[in-house]
Amino acid sequence: MASVKLTKVKKIYDNNVVAVHDFDLDIKDKEFVVFVGPSGCGKSTTLRMIAGLEEISEGTIEIDGEVVNDLQPKDRGIAMVFQNYALYPHMTVYDNIAFSLRLQKVPEDVIYEKVTNAAEILGITEYLLRKPRALSGGQRQRVAIGRAMVRNSKVFLMDEPLSNLDAKLRNQMRAEIILLRQKLDTTFIYVTHDQTEAMTLADRIVIMKDGYIMQVGTPEECFDMPNNLFVAEFIGAPKMNVLKTELSQEGGKYFVKPFGVKLEVDGVKGDMLKEKKVPAGEVILGVRPEHIVLAKEGEPGAIPVVLEVNEMMGSELHLHVYTEDGTRLIVRVPTIDLTHEQRENMVNGHKLFITFEGKVMHFFDPESEKNLLV
Amino acid sequence: MSNENIAELEKRKRGMGLKASARLSNTIIYILLVVISIIWIIPFLCIVLQSFRVESTWKVGYVIPQQWGFDNYVKLWSTNFPRWYLNTFVIALVVAVVQTLIVLCMSYTLSRFRFKMRAGLMRFMLILGMFPGMLAMIILYRVLDDLGMTGENMLPGLILVYVASSGMGYYVSKGFFDTIPKSLDEAARIDGATRAQVLTKIILPLAKPIVIYTILTAFMGPWGDFVFARYVSQLKPLGMNVAVGLQSWLATDTMTHDYYTLFCAGGVVVALPVAILFMCLQKYYVEGVTGGAVKG
Amino acid sequence: MKRYSDLEYLRLSKGQKFLYKLASFFLAIPRGIGTFFLGIGRFFKKLGVGIGKEISDVVMTFVKGDWKTKTSYLVMGFGSIARGQMLRGLLFLLFEAVFIFYMVTAGGYWMSMLPSLGKIGPHEEYNMVLDTHYTVYGDNSFKILLYGVLTLFFIVAFLYTWRLNIKQNKISEDILRSGKKLKSGKDDLRSLVDDQFHKTLLALPLIGILVFTVMPIVFMILVAFTNYDGSHNGYSNALFTWVGLDNFKTIFSWDVGGVNYAATFGEVLTWTLIWAFFATFTNYFLGIFVAMMINKKGIRLKKVWRTILVLTIAIPQFISLLYVSKMFDINGLVNGALMSLHITDHAIDFWGTPWLARIMVIVINIWIGIPYLMLIATGILMNIPADLYESSRIDGASGWKQFTKITLPYMLFITGPYLLTSFTGNMNNFNVIYLLTGGRPTNPVASGAAGSVGYTDLLITWLFKITTGSDTKYYLASVVGILVFLVVALFTLIVYGLLPSVKNEEDFQ
Repeated sequence: MASVKLTKVKKIYDNNVVAVHDFDLDIKDKEFVVFVGPSGCGKSTTLRMIAGLEEISEGTIEIDGEVVNDLQPKDRGIAMVFQNYALYPHMTVYDNIAFSLRLQKVPEDVIYEKVTNAAEILGITEYLLRKPRALSGGQRQRVAIGRAMVRNSKVFLMDEPLSNLDAKLRNQMRAEIILLRQKLDTTFIYVTHDQTEAMTLADRIVIMKDGYIMQVGTPEECFDMPNNLFVAEFIGAPKMNVLKTELSQEGGKYFVKPFGVKLEVDGVKGDMLKEKKVPAGEVILGVRPEHIVLAKEGEPGAIPVVLEVNEMMGSELHLHVYTEDGTRLIVRVPTIDLTHEQRENMVNGHKLFITFEGKVMHFFDPESEKNLLV
Repeated sequence: MSNENIAELEKRKRGMGLKASARLSNTIIYILLVVISIIWIIPFLCIVLQSFRVESTWKVGYVIPQQWGFDNYVKLWSTNFPRWYLNTFVIALVVAVVQTLIVLCMSYTLSRFRFKMRAGLMRFMLILGMFPGMLAMIILYRVLDDLGMTGENMLPGLILVYVASSGMGYYVSKGFFDTIPKSLDEAARIDGATRAQVLTKIILPLAKPIVIYTILTAFMGPWGDFVFARYVSQLKPLGMNVAVGLQSWLATDTMTHDYYTLFCAGGVVVALPVAILFMCLQKYYVEGVTGGAVKG
Repeated sequence: MKRYSDLEYLRLSKGQKFLYKLASFFLAIPRGIGTFFLGIGRFFKKLGVGIGKEISDVVMTFVKGDWKTKTSYLVMGFGSIARGQMLRGLLFLLFEAVFIFYMVTAGGYWMSMLPSLGKIGPHEEYNMVLDTHYTVYGDNSFKILLYGVLTLFFIVAFLYTWRLNIKQNKISEDILRSGKKLKSGKDDLRSLVDDQFHKTLLALPLIGILVFTVMPIVFMILVAFTNYDGSHNGYSNALFTWVGLDNFKTIFSWDVGGVNYAATFGEVLTWTLIWAFFATFTNYFLGIFVAMMINKKGIRLKKVWRTILVLTIAIPQFISLLYVSKMFDINGLVNGALMSLHITDHAIDFWGTPWLARIMVIVINIWIGIPYLMLIATGILMNIPADLYESSRIDGASGWKQFTKITLPYMLFITGPYLLTSFTGNMNNFNVIYLLTGGRPTNPVASGAAGSVGYTDLLITWLFKITTGSDTKYYLASVVGILVFLVVALFTLIVYGLLPSVKNEEDFQ
């Protein structure tokens, strides 16, 4: 168990390409932190710098208070699970897990205990004498975890461990990782490009883009109060709807006019706008698909749209609509809220009305893309 | 694809019958393959047959001996051939071991480690390889001569020449090592292994095919080398290897007159063990060629 | 020339497209040459900047360094010893001691003789007591050149190590200033099997290459500027000395002492290039063809066919070549068979007719080379994704179309670099030519130049003859060797510039 602290960590490659800019992060002991972002954002590079597999160009990394910049991976007290598992193909599962212990010259009976213990927790006891090529993806995954488990390390690093699994297995393994976390009681640093994994697994998420940290926060914080447009669009599926519109102030109240329909910014968001004294002007307005509701024609705030594509997801419909000026939006409607007749009508060309409340609105500066309420 | 083309295909198929057309092309191919096989085997068949010819030792216009016998093989013993054979065998053994070690060291390092001089080093060796190797031999020969390692005592000299620069032949092995995922190295290092332990405990067990390939090619090399052995031997009979020696038997017409069938017998004696060894390890050779040489 | 946009290009007819591509190709050449020279210029600039940086770094380290560092400028390793790194310090000190000792005792002498390559040659002296003349040997040009070059290498190595020593001091000072500890001797040894393992692994191979390839080549390049030959071997018969660019002038001149070197060189070079071209490409395409035949669906006994061909790789080449050479002699097996079958009535002089000998050499080389190419081609063929063929079959492609549009491009892409090395390798393919023909038949235009040069001689076999005949002109061999290098280097550069498939090895990982 240990804390991990990154201070102004930078990674610059030989051809002067900067992969990671000024990375600052304080990870508490036993915290589960997820680095998430699109490909090439630097999340794996940062993880590998913590592991010692990449040289740190600038800045310091401390594990448990000790600066580890010049330490070899084996001396940092870390364990790592790789994306492609990296199991030793010529050794049995038992030998794979026992490898590090044997290098440390741990007595064989102690090794036996530790390995069989880990195997039992992971449910791979019956595979101990098999070679990796005789195992399925999920089983190999577990062996990789087992290999990392027995080392009693301070920090557990995982580099996109679920990326190579099919969808169903991924869901299953996600739950198992949560269980594992409870059992292991260690600090976890997890890298993924899947925001669902990040949201479900993390205590805190670190969202990265092009080598910069976009936001650090709990899943709720990132979801409810994204720092900027990138985070807002990255977290949550389907993507948040964004559009440019005019924010105006009238008589102490704020209004927006999406697609010509005037909506008041009431509730929590309205208060926040007043508190921050946000000036009127052009803004980027963001609304999540699940926060848009169907409205009736003629209602105040009802925006007319035309349905293009209707995705039947089971418990809800994902309606792809477009407005009069051609802007495309996605609306999530629980199936249970519609009558059978209404559902029948949801075909290409069907005219609908939608609206949304003030409390679900997000406002971003059109140039800096920063959240105006943060 | 247009409808006319589909119709065309159908017509052609119906005209010949799909099976029939395939059978025709297959038959042609079989014939070709048989012809090719015969052409490829014939010279060796001839050598073997000629080695059993007893009635004359010179070149003749026919293949099948009139009198069969092992005379030529027996005569080999009374020439310098056994010495040449011994020379070449010892050299091949030593070279097989040392060269493999050197090549593997070089190719593993270039595959796994990213150090500052790496790209420059590889480019430098590429350029170095553009010089004809013979050029180096001219002076090396004179130096070795001064040190007394030529002529009859050419064994250590020739071995040195073969193995010292063998590091430049890293290409195929490196290609093979490149196919082993780096993440295995990284996992082992995190598990606590030093770089040296990564090599011995993880990589080498997985590198069996390329190790065998390297040993095989290193062993076979000295059996067929002509140029370097010729320089170092100074044409002193006891200092030759089989290639230089056998070539000397056919160097002039007078020599050929007396030694032609002996040459055939010598050729068989040299080729047979090497060929058998090769065929046994053929699988690894093929893997090395198709794997490393192509993907590397 | 007009540059077409993508859509405009698509509207052109097939002929027009071809012409357009051709024109673009030729226009790209001057640009390529320009980029090449720019590259050289940039390289030298980087070199200059690099050297400048090093010099300024050396000066600054001295100025900013403490007394331990300053002393290290004279006594190498002092700084390391003074800071507790005994192992490193002693190694540096030892190196400096050895170097100074060497330079004082031997190095100085060799360097001083280098410009002249010896002054006193072998000469006669008269012994009054015995009333005889006897030969006294003086300087040894060969040894002077050899040890002089070695000394130069040593000096360069010393400068490099001295610079390393300076850098060490600076790094040590920085480390100590930031409060960290220096690596001990034990740490250093341990790192040799860990993060510095590559140095341990590379040490022996690189030393071998340095001593047995780099130095001889440097030596031979220098020989090209001397007159070292059989009658000037530098010691027992006469000294040799520098002749500047004379040898290069010789090889390009039409008449030097009755020998037409330029014509010889021209003839041999032309044939070398032609030979390399045919040898490489006949083997390549025929190898692919054979591989495809064996690999075809429906052909049985695949392993048998392959084994028969692979067998020829197993047998040492020289046996096959020497025997086949005799087979096609005037009184050899082939002529015997041809005559007894009444196909011809008199023997065909395969090796005596220039054009026939050349064709024969190429043909026999096919026999030697196909099995190897077949292996490579088979390996690649098996790796071509099957769905490429399947989708093309649905699209209606015939067998030939599939070959030209799928198989061939894929092959060329993967084996591009291999073709290049194969081509340059064939340029230096000594065994096939020498053991088959020995260079025969003699080329009247080319002969007279250091041994008889023939119609099938390559530059490399000519080189061999120059150095093993009765009249060994080593300087000529060096010149030819250098020219071979230049031709190969030129080719490689051009092809690498043109090939799109020069692969990035990281792609595979």
